Amino acid sequence: MTSTDPSAAEAVVFWVCAFLSVVGGIGLILSRRAVHSALWVALTMISLAVLYIANAAPFLGMVQIIVYTGAVMMLFLFVLMVVGVDSSDSLVETLRGQRVAGILLAVGFGLLLAIGLGSALNGVPVVGLDGANGEYGGNVEGLARLLFSEYVLAFEIVAGLLVVAALGALVLAHRERWQPRRTQREISQERTRGGIHPAPLPPPGVYARHNAVDTPALLPDGSVADISVPGPLRARGDLRPVDTAAVAETAALTSGEATYGPAKRPVADDPGTSPGEPS
Amino acid sequence: MNPEVMTAPSIDYIALLPYIIVGAAGVIGVIVEAFVGRNGRRPIQLVLAFGSLIGAFGVLVVNRTTLGLQAEGAIAIDGPGILFMGLILLLAILVALLMSERQLDPAGDAFAPRASALPGSDDERELTTRGYFQTEIWPLFLFSVFGMMLFVTASNLLVLFIALEIMSLPLYLMAGMSRRRRLLSQEAALKYFILGAFSSAFLLFGIALLYGYSGSVEFSVIADALAAEPGQTALVVGGVALLSVGLLFKIGAVPFHAWVPDVYQGSPAPVTAFMAAAVKVTAFGALLRVMYVALGGVRWEWEPLLWIIAGLTMLFGSVVAIAQTDMKRMIAYSSIAQAGFILIGVSTATAEGLYASIFYLVAYGFTTIGIFAIIAMVRDAGGEMTRLDQWAGLGKRSPLVAVSFGIFMFALASFPLTSGFIAKFLVFESALAVDNLGLVIVGVIASVMAAFFYIRVVVIMFFREPVEGSPAAAVPSATTTLALAVSAAVTVILGVLPEPVINLIEQAGVFLR
Repeated sequence: MTSTDPSAAEAVVFWVCAFLSVVGGIGLILSRRAVHSALWVALTMISLAVLYIANAAPFLGMVQIIVYTGAVMMLFLFVLMVVGVDSSDSLVETLRGQRVAGILLAVGFGLLLAIGLGSALNGVPVVGLDGANGEYGGNVEGLARLLFSEYVLAFEIVAGLLVVAALGALVLAHRERWQPRRTQREISQERTRGGIHPAPLPPPGVYARHNAVDTPALLPDGSVADISVPGPLRARGDLRPVDTAAVAETAALTSGEATYGPAKRPVADDPGTSPGEPS
Repeated sequence: MNPEVMTAPSIDYIALLPYIIVGAAGVIGVIVEAFVGRNGRRPIQLVLAFGSLIGAFGVLVVNRTTLGLQAEGAIAIDGPGILFMGLILLLAILVALLMSERQLDPAGDAFAPRASALPGSDDERELTTRGYFQTEIWPLFLFSVFGMMLFVTASNLLVLFIALEIMSLPLYLMAGMSRRRRLLSQEAALKYFILGAFSSAFLLFGIALLYGYSGSVEFSVIADALAAEPGQTALVVGGVALLSVGLLFKIGAVPFHAWVPDVYQGSPAPVTAFMAAAVKVTAFGALLRVMYVALGGVRWEWEPLLWIIAGLTMLFGSVVAIAQTDMKRMIAYSSIAQAGFILIGVSTATAEGLYASIFYLVAYGFTTIGIFAIIAMVRDAGGEMTRLDQWAGLGKRSPLVAVSFGIFMFALASFPLTSGFIAKFLVFESALAVDNLGLVIVGVIASVMAAFFYIRVVVIMFFREPVEGSPAAAVPSATTTLALAVSAAVTVILGVLPEPVINLIEQAGVFLR
C-alpha cells in the first residue's frame, strides 16, 4: 500500500472513518448520559461526512456536517442542557430479559444484513460517482437537476412535512399566558415570605482545595451544605464526596494544632460523620 | 447533454388538484391559527376542513377518467388509486364529523384544551373553565389526509417515504391530545411515535437496498430490473423484507402489532376512528401498490411471507381479543384480526385479490367509524366508559345506539346481510381461486373464534341487567349522529346490495406502472 495510490489512500480513510463511526454508534448506546450520547452521535456523523466526501459526494458531506452535526446535534445538545440535565433516566429494566433478547436480536439482525449484503455486493464492479457527477457538470449541479426535475414533487411535499413538524412543536410546547406576568417585586416578596433562602445561596468549593462547582461548601460544624451545589448536579447525585481527612487537616492547620510541611495527617476516626471539632 | 439547458419538469396541476386542495387547506389553517382571534378560529377551520375534503372528493369524481403517471412519474393516478383516495376522503369527512362533536363532553370536544398544559395542573383547569380549545387539530388532520392521499398513489419510494411521514407525524401528535385520561393518551402518543420512528427506519433501509439493487426508486424501474434479472439477490430479499416491515407496521399486522392496543385505547375516540379506518386503508393501499407494481417480479418471495403473517395476524388478533375486558382494546385486537383477513386478499397477487381487498377495506372502514362514534357516546363524567361490564344493559337504556352497535358487531363477525359477510366471502374466494386452501381454513377458524367475542358484546348489551352507575349513551349532536347513520347505512347496504360497489371496484382496473 503506497501513499501515492489514490485507492490505497481511500482505503485508509475508509477504515479509519468506518472504525470511528462504529465506535460512535456503540458509544451512543452505551453512554449513560444523554449529553455523552449526543457527542458520540456527532462523532459518527462527522466520520460519515468524511466518508461521503471521500466518495465523491462533497455536497452530501458538507450538508452532513453543517446540517446534522452543526445544527441538529447542537440543537439537541442545547435542549439537553436546558431541560434535561437535572433528570437522569432510570435504567431499570421493566421487562425481564429484554436487554439480553434485544442484544441477541440486534446482533443476529446485524450479522444477517452484513452477510447478506457482503455476499450480494461481493464482486460488484465499482464505477464511482465520477460519471454521474460529470454528466451535468458537477456534483451540486447534478443534485440540483435531480431535485428540480425528477424529484420535484418530493421536494415540494417536504414543505408539508416541515409545516407539520413546526406546528407540532408549537402545539406541544407553546403555553399561552393567561395571567399577567409577575413583576420583580412580586417575585421577591414571594421569595422572602416563602421561608426559603432569601439571600444568595452559599457558593460551592471549600478551603481552596477545589474550586469545582460540584464540591459542596461546609457549614461551621463541618457538615455538608447541599444547597451550595447547583440543583441539577444535586438531582443527579453528582456531589463530590468531601474528604473528611482533608477537612480535619485543614481544621488542624487553622487552629494551629498542626504546621505546614510533610507532617502526618490526623486520621479522622469515623469517615462518615462530621469530621473534627471546629475550633 | 448540455449542462446549461434543463427542461422544466412537467407537472399537470389540474390532475394534482385534489392533493393541492387538501394540502393548501392545511397551510391556510396554520395561517388562520396564527392570525385569527381565538373565537374566530373554529368556524374557519371547520369550513376549511369540510370544504377542502368535499371539494377534493368532487374534483376526484370529475377527474376520474384522466388517468396516468403525474409529476415526472412520482404519482400514479390510476383506478385503484382514485378509489383509495376517494375512500380516504369519505372516511376523513366522517372522522371530521366526529371531531367537530361538542355535545358529548360537558367541557367541550374530545381534545385537551392545550396539549402543552400539564395533565391535572391548574393551568389545564383554568384553560378548561375559560373554554379554550386546541384548534390546531384541524390543520394537523388535513395534513394527515394529504399524506394519506400521496401515500396510496406514490409511484416512487422517495415520495412513499415522505408521504408516510406527512401522514404519521400529525397522528403521533393527535394521539396524545385526549381531553380525558391524558396520561394514558400521552403514553400512547409516545409509544406510537417511537415505534413509528423505528418502522420508518426499517422502511428507509429497505428503500436503500432496493435502490442499491435497481439503481432507481421508481416502482416501474424496479419492476423492470426484477424482470430483466429474475435471480433475486440478497439486496432484493432484504429490501422486500425491510420495506414490508415498515408497511405492515402501519397496518398493525403480527408481529408488528404491539402498538395497536395501547394507542387505540389512549387516543381520543375520533382519532382512534381515524387511525383504525383511514390509516389502515392507506397502508393497505400502499402495500398493494408496492407489492403488485414494484415487486410483482418477486411474487414468490413475498407471497409465503404474507401467508404466514396473514395467518398469524388473524389467529393472534382473534385469540387475544377474547381475553379483553376493555372495549377499545378489544376493538384494537379485532382490528389486528381484520388486517389479517385483508392480507389474505393481498397475498393472492391477483386482480381478484386486489378487488376483494378494496371491498373489504370499504366495508371495514365505515363499520369502524361507526363503532368509535358509539364508543365516544357511551360515557360518564370521567370520559368514555370502556370497560365491557359497563356496557351491560345498554340495549334497555339506549336501544337505538345498542342496535347500531350490534349491527357493527355482526358486520365484523361477518354475519350474512352485513358488509362484513360479503367482504370476507370475496377475500376467501380470491384465495381459493389461487388454490390457497390452507389460508382459507385458517381464516375460517379465526372467523369463528372472532365471532365469539363480537357476539359476546351483543349479549352483554341486550341480555345482561345494567349494573349500578352505567348510564345511557349520551345524546350526541347532529354531526356524530350523521356519521353514525352513514356508517350504519353503508354497513347494511353493502351487505344487502353489494353489486354496485363491486362493479365500481372492478371497473377501476388494476394499478398503472
